[in-house]
Amino acid sequence: MRRTRRSLLRAAVLLVPVAGGSLPVRADQAALEALMRTFAAVPRSQASFTEKKAIPELDLPLPSEGTLVWVAPDRLEKRTTTPIQEVLRVTGDRLIYERPDRGTRQEFSLAEQPEMRALVEAIRGTLAGDLATLRQHYDIGFDLLADGSWRMVLVPLSWRLRGAVQRIVLAGRGAQVLAVDTEGNGGVTRMRITPLP
Amino acid sequence: MTRILAALLLLAGLGGVLAAKVGLRTDLAEFLPPGRTPASAFLFHELQGGTATTLLLAGIEGADPKELARLSRETAAALRASGRFDFVGDGTLSLSEAEQALLFRYRYLLSPETRPETFTPAALRPHLEALLEGLRSSASPLLVRFGFADPTGAFLGLARTWLAEARVETWDGAWFATGDGPPRALLLARARGAGLDAEAQRDAVATFQAAFAAARPGQARLLLSGPGVFAAEAAAVIRADVRRVSLAAVALLAAFLFWRYRSFLMLAVVAVPLAAGTIAGFAATAAISGGAVHGIALGFGMTMLGVTVDYPILLVTLRRPEERLGEAAARLWPTLRLAAASAAAGLAAMLGSGFPGLVQLGVFAGTGLLAAATTTRWILPLLLPGMRIMARPLPAPLRVALSALRGRRALAGAVALAAAVGLAAAGGPTWQRDLAALSPVPHAAQALDAELRSQLGAPDVRILFALGPGSEAAVLEASERLGTAVAPLIGRDGALQGLDLPSRYLPSPATQRARQHALPEAETLQQALRAAAEGLPFRPTAFAPFLAGVEESRTLPPLDLAALEGAPTLAARLSPLLSRRGGSVQGVALAQGVTDPAALAAVAAQLDDPRILFVDVKAETEGVIAAYARVTLLWALAGGVLVLGLLALGLGGPVRALRTAGPIGGALLVTLAVLALTGEALTLFHLASLLLLAGLAIDYSLFLGRAATDPGAATDDTLGAVLNCAVSTLLTFGLLAFSGTPVLHGIGLTVSVGVASAFLLACALTPRPAAHA
Repeated sequence: MRRTRRSLLRAAVLLVPVAGGSLPVRADQAALEALMRTFAAVPRSQASFTEKKAIPELDLPLPSEGTLVWVAPDRLEKRTTTPIQEVLRVTGDRLIYERPDRGTRQEFSLAEQPEMRALVEAIRGTLAGDLATLRQHYDIGFDLLADGSWRMVLVPLSWRLRGAVQRIVLAGRGAQVLAVDTEGNGGVTRMRITPLP
Repeated sequence: MTRILAALLLLAGLGGVLAAKVGLRTDLAEFLPPGRTPASAFLFHELQGGTATTLLLAGIEGADPKELARLSRETAAALRASGRFDFVGDGTLSLSEAEQALLFRYRYLLSPETRPETFTPAALRPHLEALLEGLRSSASPLLVRFGFADPTGAFLGLARTWLAEARVETWDGAWFATGDGPPRALLLARARGAGLDAEAQRDAVATFQAAFAAARPGQARLLLSGPGVFAAEAAAVIRADVRRVSLAAVALLAAFLFWRYRSFLMLAVVAVPLAAGTIAGFAATAAISGGAVHGIALGFGMTMLGVTVDYPILLVTLRRPEERLGEAAARLWPTLRLAAASAAAGLAAMLGSGFPGLVQLGVFAGTGLLAAATTTRWILPLLLPGMRIMARPLPAPLRVALSALRGRRALAGAVALAAAVGLAAAGGPTWQRDLAALSPVPHAAQALDAELRSQLGAPDVRILFALGPGSEAAVLEASERLGTAVAPLIGRDGALQGLDLPSRYLPSPATQRARQHALPEAETLQQALRAAAEGLPFRPTAFAPFLAGVEESRTLPPLDLAALEGAPTLAARLSPLLSRRGGSVQGVALAQGVTDPAALAAVAAQLDDPRILFVDVKAETEGVIAAYARVTLLWALAGGVLVLGLLALGLGGPVRALRTAGPIGGALLVTLAVLALTGEALTLFHLASLLLLAGLAIDYSLFLGRAATDPGAATDDTLGAVLNCAVSTLLTFGLLAFSGTPVLHGIGLTVSVGVASAFLLACALTPRPAAHA
C-alpha cells in the first residue's frame, strides 16, 4: 500500500511539468500561434487604460489613467495622464521616459536594461505577434476559452527579473488585449484596457 | 678541416647546453635600474611586479556590431569560466546576487551619505515622497526591490559610483568604442594574482586568444594589448628581426668572404672565434647576473660580437705567404692584443653605468671580445696548422681610389671639423628621454595600446600618489586624508579632473566606525520615520527592512580587504589601487586629467605624511634615464682615458696614442653629427653602439698605423685586410639599420655610419706610400 502511494506520488511529480506547467498542450499551442498571427496583422491600435497598483507596503492602491498607442512593427507608447504625467515610449532598442510635469526626459538603450527590456517585450511582443521574442524572455502558458477570449501567463526566465516580477497575466479577446496583471513582491498591478477606434 | 668542423660542433653543443641551463628574461623592467629616489623606487617596483602587469586590453573589430557584441560576450564568458582572471569587463558588468547582498548589507558603512542629519524627519521626508512618486511611475517594479529597505538610496548611490564607466558605450551587452572609425568592441581583463612573471603572462594571453577563437570569430580580428602581450610581442619581434637580419647577413658575408678569399673554409675560420666569444660572453653574464640573462643583453651582445669577425680576417689576410698560421698569430698578437684590450676597456663604461641591462651587455661584449681574440691567437692556429688561404688582391680601381685617399690629413681634418660644426649647428646630440623609446616593443603595438587605453577610458597614468606601505587601516586612512586635501582642486577649472582613491571603494575602519556612531538608535529612527511619513499612505510596517538594516549596521564588524573576497566586482575595482605585499599593504591613488602637477605636488608636501608620496611618472622615468645617461657618459670619458693610456703603453708614447686615437675621435664626431642631423634621439643603446664603434675603430687605426711605421709590413695588404673587416661589419650592421625594431635600427645606423667613417678617416691619416713617388 505504502509502496503504491509513493510511486503514485513520484508519477505525479513527474507529470507536473507536462500537465500543469509551462508547456501548453498541442491544441493551445496552435491556438497561440494563430492568435499571434492575428496580432501581427494589426498595423496600429489605440486604447485607454486604467491601472491600479496594489503594493503591500501601502495602505491604498495607487490608481492611474492614460492611453496606449501601438504602431507596428516596434513602436509602443504608454501615456499616463493622471495623477502624474508620464510618457513611456519604446522604438526599436530605445526607451524614452518623459515626465512632462517635471520637464525631464531620459533615454535608455534596452540592451543596457535587460529587466526593463523583458517588461517591455511582454506587451510589445504580444502586440507585434512576435512569439519568438516572447519565448526569449518568458515561459508562456496559454488558454483559449470557449467564448473566444484568451489568457496568457508569462513567467520570466531571468532570475533577476523574477526578483521583481513573478508573473504577468495578459487577457483579451481576438487581437485585443483587455487586461494586464503584473504580479511581484506581494503586490499586483492591474491594468484594464478599453480599445479606442 | 675536420678539426675545425669538430670544434664548431663542440661549440654548438656547448652553446646549446648553456641556452638550456640559463634562463632568459624578456621584460623591459628588469633591464632598468632600481630607483634612486623613493618615488622612482616605488615606480620601478610597480613596473616590475605591480598589478599593472596583469592588465589585458582587447578590441574586436572587422564585423558588424551585432556579431562583435556576440563575440565579446562569448569571449568574456569563456574568460570568466577559465578561472584565470580576477576581473573581466565587457558590457555585462553587474553585481552578482551574492555580491549585491554583501554590499547591500554594508551600505550604511560604505556610503559617504551616512551622517546624523541624513536620518532626521526633515531629511527623510523628501526621500519618502520621492519613493511614493516612483511607485506611481512605470519604474515601480524595480523600485520596490530596494525602496523600502533603503529609502535614502544609499546603496543605489554606491552602485552608481562603483559601476560608473564614463567613456565606453554599452550596446547589446558589449562595450563599444565611441567616436569615428569602424565599430570596435572592447574588453578588459585582469589576470589572477599580482605581479606576473613572463610565463604566467604568456598563459593569460594564450587563454584570451583561445577564448576568442572558440567564439568562432570568422572575419573578425582580436586586437590584444597590455604588458603581457608586450613582453611576448617584443621577444617575438626581436627574434624574427634578428633571425631575418642574421640570415641575410650570413649570406652576404659568406658571398663577400668567398669573393675575397675563394674559400669556404674561411667561413668556418670566421665562425670559430665568434661562437667562442658568444659562449664565453653568455656564460660570464649568466654568472654575474645570478643565472638569468636578459634577452635584450643577449640579442644585442651577440650582435655586437659580430665585430669579432675582424680578428680572424686580419689574421688570415696579414699572414705572409711563407708563414705558418701560428707564426703569423704570434707576430700580430701584440697589435691584436692591444686592439682587443682597448675595445674591452672602452666597454667598461657600461659596467659603471649602474643600469642592470647595460652592465650585462658590457660584461657580455667585453668577455666575448677578449675570448674571440684569444681564440684567434691560440685556437685557430691549432685547428688549421697548414692553412693556405690567401686574400685576392683588391680590384685595381678600388686600390687606386684608396691610394689617392691616403695621406690626405687636411681632408680628414676638414671632415672632422665639418662634423663638429654640423653637430654644433644641430644643437648637439639630442637625448631620448622617453622610456618607451628604449622599449623593444614595435611602434605599432605601442600605438594600439595607447588607442585601446583611451577608448576604454583608462589613459596611461602620468600622475599618481603612492600610499603606504603600512597596515590596511593606515593606508586607507592616508587615502582618505589625501582625498580630503585634493577634493577642492578637482573640477573643470581645477588642477585635475578626478582622483581614484582606494578609500572610494573601501573606507578605512575608523571611518566605518564613525559612520556606525552616526546611525540613530532603533527607537529614534522609528520616531523620525513616523514623523517623516505623516500623511503619506505607507503602512506602519512598510519600512521594517530599513529599520532592521540600520540596526544591524550599528554592530557590523567593519568591512575589510579579506571580507571583500565575497565581492569580486568591487574587489577587482579595488585591486589596482590596493594590494597586499607580504605583511603590509601598498596603495595608489590615480589622478586623471591633471593640468597642474605642481599643485598636486604641493598638496603632498603640505600633508607631510610619510605614507603619501607624490609620483610624476614621466618626470621620474625621465629623471632616472637622464641620471644614468650622465653617469654612463662620465664612465665613457673615463673609458676613453683608459684606452688612451693603454694605447700609450702599447705604442710607446702619448703622441702615437693620440695619433692612433685621431680617426676614432673623428669617426665618433661624424657619427654623432649624422645621428643629430637625421633626427635620431640618442638612447643608451646608441651610446653602447658608440663604445663598440670606438673599439672597432681601434682595430683599423692600430693595424693601418702599424703598417705605416713597420717597414716590413706590406701596406697594401694591410689596407686590404682592414677593408675586408670594415666591409664585413658594414654588411651585418647596415642590414640592422633597416630593422623595424627601434633598438636594432639605432644600433645598425650608428655602427654602419661609424665604421664607414672610421675606415675612411684611418685611411686618410695613413702616410702616402713612398714607393710610388
